[in-house]
Amino acid sequence: MSSHREAPEISKDPVADSTDFYAFVSPDRSDTVTLIANYVPLQVPAGGPNFFEFGTDVLYEIKVDNDGDGKPEITYQFNFTTTYQNPNTFLYNTGPISSNTDKNWNSQQTYSVTKLNSAGNPTVLATGLTCPPCNIGPHSTPKYADLAQAAVHQLPSGETVFAGQRREGFYVDLGSVFDLADLRPFENLHLLSLGGAGKGVDATKFVNVHSIAIQVPKSMLTSDGSGATDATSSKSVIGAYTSASRQVITLRQDKVPGARHVGPFTQVSRLGHPLINEVIIPIGMKDQWNTTDPANDGSLVALYQHPELAKLLPILYPNVFPNLAALTDARADLVAILLTGIPSGIIPGFQNYTGPVQADLLRLNMAIAPSATPSTLGILGGDLAGYPNGRRVMDNVATIELRASAGATDPLVAPSYKADGAAALVTDGVAPTSDRYQATFPYLGLPLDGFNFPANVA
Amino acid sequence: MSKLTRKGFLGKTSLGAAAIGAMVSVPGLAHVTEADAAPEFKLRPEELKGPLVAHVRDLKTGEIAVMVGTREIVYRDPQFAKRLLRAAR
Repeated sequence: MSSHREAPEISKDPVADSTDFYAFVSPDRSDTVTLIANYVPLQVPAGGPNFFEFGTDVLYEIKVDNDGDGKPEITYQFNFTTTYQNPNTFLYNTGPISSNTDKNWNSQQTYSVTKLNSAGNPTVLATGLTCPPCNIGPHSTPKYADLAQAAVHQLPSGETVFAGQRREGFYVDLGSVFDLADLRPFENLHLLSLGGAGKGVDATKFVNVHSIAIQVPKSMLTSDGSGATDATSSKSVIGAYTSASRQVITLRQDKVPGARHVGPFTQVSRLGHPLINEVIIPIGMKDQWNTTDPANDGSLVALYQHPELAKLLPILYPNVFPNLAALTDARADLVAILLTGIPSGIIPGFQNYTGPVQADLLRLNMAIAPSATPSTLGILGGDLAGYPNGRRVMDNVATIELRASAGATDPLVAPSYKADGAAALVTDGVAPTSDRYQATFPYLGLPLDGFNFPANVA
Repeated sequence: MSKLTRKGFLGKTSLGAAAIGAMVSVPGLAHVTEADAAPEFKLRPEELKGPLVAHVRDLKTGEIAVMVGTREIVYRDPQFAKRLLRAAR
């Protein structure tokens, strides 16, 4: 959850809280792109009695810009419905769940998928698609892998979709990073050092999340219907993000359970690049940022040009970042990485530039093939198929963005700047285990079950 | 099909009542305008099941947003806004 609970208002609304967004060329089907939007952060597997689900009053969207104007030409909408099989029991399931339509699964969730074109005209692609239940334990969901696989739906329109609980793929030492930017491997160098260097602690290793995943043929995403085969072409690059919206009015009545909603939908959450609303946008603007559209992000460019984290690192780690401390020029590298894409000529063989419109979009050059030997450091690690070329589920975005903020990427656009040695080393010290992911759609691993977790790690 | 006047609209702010019937006409506009010049629009059957909310956005101008279903119709009716204000006192 690179962007979980990242703003005051959305932190109180988990079902509308986007936590991560991924966009990558599918490694096993390279003629397609997979887009994943995660919501409902920090799910402890032992989440009974009601477990977790998508909001039935939330409009979830995945949006794609394919002409560089910062606005979506393609929008996929997901709407969820929950149906109780037996409202007279307290149980989430009344017996082992053998299928996603098993009557034993009391609180069943289904969804519809609608596609909007650039004019906003909708086409309903599917209704009544099944979600899997949450992974409860060996008594309730003994064959969970089968349930999860049955929730992968091939749509007649060509897309493949999944919506449901998955294992959290984002990894970070959440406890130390937000304890005054402490990085355990560099504890001994911190201004308020508590001792020697240590190993990073993966705070999200044993939590789940809810994922909306859609796999789309590349030709359905490009502006001209082409297959995105030319990596030098702007037509091969898309920008994408996710948003969640709620109706403007929530109406409660005394002694009446639940709420009713009325009025048009208004955006309450959005996410393109990881960690933007978390560490770039100041707290006084975070809620507002969640309501605005990426196409208007140009007004915030100063926050990217002079990021607060880059000012804090030399203070919190005295004498470690002297060159960063002296760097006062606008960070054109961060603006390129995060707001426009990187133009040709900066990194050999790579570009994901969508044009001058500054917008927080995850920009994917669809013509760059998946890597046979992926580096979790993405482009910083010499892997052009990784972040910030889109974002794959295993990319170490926390370390990549730390190093970029620390100045590691500034020499790309300012050759006279010499990055501090520490900029290429700084990390929170966390690496994922491979069981968090899988090789096939939807690429995030099966969720952990509540019977064994946290029992197995207690 | 009954046509609701502004008075009738004030008296029937809670939809879902069967007495209103399958289709009702409510003065409203897609754009802000004076109520007397507003064309009518029809409520869809599914919208009758949910609440209808009138939000006075600006007491000075009488700008009112009427929300039903997923729609919002904004129009100006200073007299209606004043009546609502009197009811709230």
